[in-house]
Amino acid sequence: MKRLLLALFALAIAVPAQAQDKLVVSIWGGSWRDLIAETVAKKFTAETGVPVEFITGGTIDRLNKEKLAKGNPESDITFTTSHVGWLYANDGLFEQLDVSRIPNAKNLADEARISPFHLGAWAYVYTIGYRADLLGNVKFESWNDLWKPEMKGKIAGPDFDPSHIIAVSAILSGSDAAHWEKGQEKLKELKPNFKAFYTNDANSQQLLASGETPVQIVLSMNAYYMIGQGVPITLAIPKEGAVLGVDTVAIMKGSKKADLAYKFINTLYDPDIQAEIAKLKKGSPAVLNAKIDPEIAKLPGVFTTAAQWKQQINIDAKLRAEKTAEWRKWFAENIMN
Amino acid sequence: MRQPAGRPVNAQPYLRTFATPAALCAFGFLAAMAAVLQFSLRAYVPGSLEPGGFTLANFADLLKPLYARVFFDTVVICFLTAASTLIVGYPLAYALVRTQSAIVKSILLVIVVTPLFLGEVVRTYSWIIVLGNNGFINSTLLGLGIIRQPIQFMFTTFGVVVALVHVTMPVMVIMLAAALSHIDQNYQKAAGSLGAGPIRVFLTVTLPLSMPGVVAGLTTAFAWSFSAFATPQLIGGGRVNMISNLVYQLGFASFNFPFAASLCVAGLALTIVVLSMLRLAARPLDNIGPH
Repeated sequence: MKRLLLALFALAIAVPAQAQDKLVVSIWGGSWRDLIAETVAKKFTAETGVPVEFITGGTIDRLNKEKLAKGNPESDITFTTSHVGWLYANDGLFEQLDVSRIPNAKNLADEARISPFHLGAWAYVYTIGYRADLLGNVKFESWNDLWKPEMKGKIAGPDFDPSHIIAVSAILSGSDAAHWEKGQEKLKELKPNFKAFYTNDANSQQLLASGETPVQIVLSMNAYYMIGQGVPITLAIPKEGAVLGVDTVAIMKGSKKADLAYKFINTLYDPDIQAEIAKLKKGSPAVLNAKIDPEIAKLPGVFTTAAQWKQQINIDAKLRAEKTAEWRKWFAENIMN
Repeated sequence: MRQPAGRPVNAQPYLRTFATPAALCAFGFLAAMAAVLQFSLRAYVPGSLEPGGFTLANFADLLKPLYARVFFDTVVICFLTAASTLIVGYPLAYALVRTQSAIVKSILLVIVVTPLFLGEVVRTYSWIIVLGNNGFINSTLLGLGIIRQPIQFMFTTFGVVVALVHVTMPVMVIMLAAALSHIDQNYQKAAGSLGAGPIRVFLTVTLPLSMPGVVAGLTTAFAWSFSAFATPQLIGGGRVNMISNLVYQLGFASFNFPFAASLCVAGLALTIVVLSMLRLAARPLDNIGPH
């Protein structure tokens, strides 16, 4: 009886201790949460014995929550898009990273070193995805092909972020994203070719799957998901390059689990974990030493070498954070309406 | 029962208890409105979540033709939705009130109330399946050889209005049914006995007596569709925009919360103005209706 009481007492004090040791990770819901749970979190828990708990939500919801909880963050680790990460960083919500505590980070691609506060976790591209079965003999070798008259009323793009096509228009006009104004007239010429604008990945899938918009400026990972579901989509990488996107990871300022957080990020950059993420999401590993399945490596929009990273159109994340509102407003006023 | 000494007989001892939650909610709403108003008067700082100093620039920006057009389009879409809902909902409400069959009444009630049980997103996606180029309507018309090319319903004002009518239908039918059920049928019988046909009885007796329900239904449908978001967002596809879509596009998708707040304040002001005008226009009808 005495032993039983002692065991119960030990259990009673052990449960809260374990709960206190959990690492809280903030990430988008659905397949993104599952991705981290099945890869990084699984390995991290196996190695440290510390469970991982997830807080899920949309990009803006999570940003607002953390802003309100400033100094006493709800999560220890946050995954978000590179330019949104700058909004966290500018508001003092991210801890400055000590990269020496993340040994695996030495293999990061240069483009994945976003800031002293957040680092790339994986990459993808926004590029041209199309339904060859509905368009006939059409090829997209350059972004300029979107401007062809036969594309009139066929294209959809994201309504939440026009930065990709704004940067592309600037480049095609001999400029760059920082001097995007030079591409304004070019982009206005594309207006008749837009049929609709999608509001999220599900909406993008619906428009492509139904053939309502047979051409899209599309997220590569989303296109591969649709291909996996049987939608015959062809992804084209224009000769100017696709537009690089990087999702990032950071440690929240005020986190009391910094040691564990560094271990978690180091696990994220484990070459095997990166290869697994690439396989599951058809994205690019953030580290250059991941040995990924050759079938995945040869997919358009997946890159594994430093040279391949540099071939993409890379909009500076800080510039994008500062310009998104201006670009979005101009796009709404001149292209969408 | 004896009342405590000095206490009025008609005292409402539970009023304070019942009113407290409502007062707390009202306080919460007022605080939120004050925050929105405050944000609308602050400057946007690129790359930062914190707004800058006080400014009227956000409201000055609203004077651009684009925003005036979206505000105008919103009012037009709301009017079209309210009017279409009335036209479709009146016969349903009439049948619901007047049918003697309990089975028919139950079926009608289910048809009317079902949309309330579906989420806005689910309901809108189902309309995409119906209205799309490969959707139910176009497939049927193409299959029957009536059309050769799909008719474009998606990304049009028509498509948005059709889907919004589905949203506002339940509340319209319930309000009309309540008004119609209060009409003493002896009025219609008297008109009939004096030689009026069914159409004349409806136009000169039933319809005027149901006007309070018509006005209430129109006003509610208008106000309800004014705040529509998912339907114009998904069916409109960025081509048909209402104020809430602009708030999302320019505010939340690009972190420009001050400008989004100014759109909210302007939208709220416009709603108050339009509903006040509707109320003024309907004032002559106050003396009509069953008494």
